[in-house]
Amino acid sequence: MKLTVNGEAHVHEGNGTIAALLEELGANPAHTALMVNGDVIPSEGWKNTTLNENDEVEMLVFVGGG
Amino acid sequence: MTNDILKVGDQELGSRLFLGTGKFSSTQAMIEAVKASGTELVTVALRRFNRDQAEDDLYGPLSLLENVKLMPNTSGAMNAKEAVRAAMLGRELSKSRIVKLEIHPNPHHLLPDAIETFEAAIELVKQDFLVLPYIPADPVLAKRLEDIGCAAVMPLGAAIGTGKGLSTAEMIKIIVRDASVPVVVDAGLRSPSEAAAAMEMGCDAVLVNSAVAAAENPAAMGAAFKTGTEAGRMAFEAGLMPTSEIAVASSPLTSFLSASDD
Repeated sequence: MKLTVNGEAHVHEGNGTIAALLEELGANPAHTALMVNGDVIPSEGWKNTTLNENDEVEMLVFVGGG
Repeated sequence: MTNDILKVGDQELGSRLFLGTGKFSSTQAMIEAVKASGTELVTVALRRFNRDQAEDDLYGPLSLLENVKLMPNTSGAMNAKEAVRAAMLGRELSKSRIVKLEIHPNPHHLLPDAIETFEAAIELVKQDFLVLPYIPADPVLAKRLEDIGCAAVMPLGAAIGTGKGLSTAEMIKIIVRDASVPVVVDAGLRSPSEAAAAMEMGCDAVLVNSAVAAAENPAAMGAAFKTGTEAGRMAFEAGLMPTSEIAVASSPLTSFLSASDD
């Protein structure tokens, strides 16, 4: 499945859920916040939310900031 | 100062020093400074996940700290819509209602966009956030943000990262006089004496980042800001003496030294 993840093209080869995408990319789900096509998706729904072709996914983590 | 509790909305804080986590040379240096400062509220920013920069992910190190709450900021947001989105993402991670609302689209001066900040604040209050907006030191704007339900207001002392201190002191005094929510001086402070001065004016807290992170010894500077903030708060509560245009003697001006000349 072709996706755009954090602005870059990505071909997802898992089962198409958000949880599978995070695992594929090596992201810690407990440390990650996520948007699909501009909508914030709470982590409770990641196992059951299926992505679609050409979805734009943003994965964010906490970093230092003032 | 152990009984001096700051209330921000329904949150209670035992320290009036808020600390930013940016610009530190390492996560370890940041953690040591947080501990030394005694802060109970630290700001964090959001950035795109990058597997090659996993060491920048602060969620793990910060969640190990006891009694320290996380306040995600909306840094990077260019307008109200983006700020609301950033706040919602931050809340997913912090599991807390607290958000530092900051919208400063011009990278040259990083001064807050008052109009977008006001619009974002309305929406975030509606969505049950505890909104702490970073704002120009504008008493009218501060009051308007309080009126729409912001939990505190955070006027700038000087532009972010400049270390130019309390350049807006006269406006901050007006904000403090009129405010019914906590006033937090955010940005511009360089030295603990400036934190003390802000607290002596009646500000409820200060937020510093660069002053600690860019110090030669961040942990020691964190401790110095702790002392400065506490000293200023104690002085405010003690009540500063009034000023006078003419000298007022502290010692008796009796003339016994010249008495034998008579």
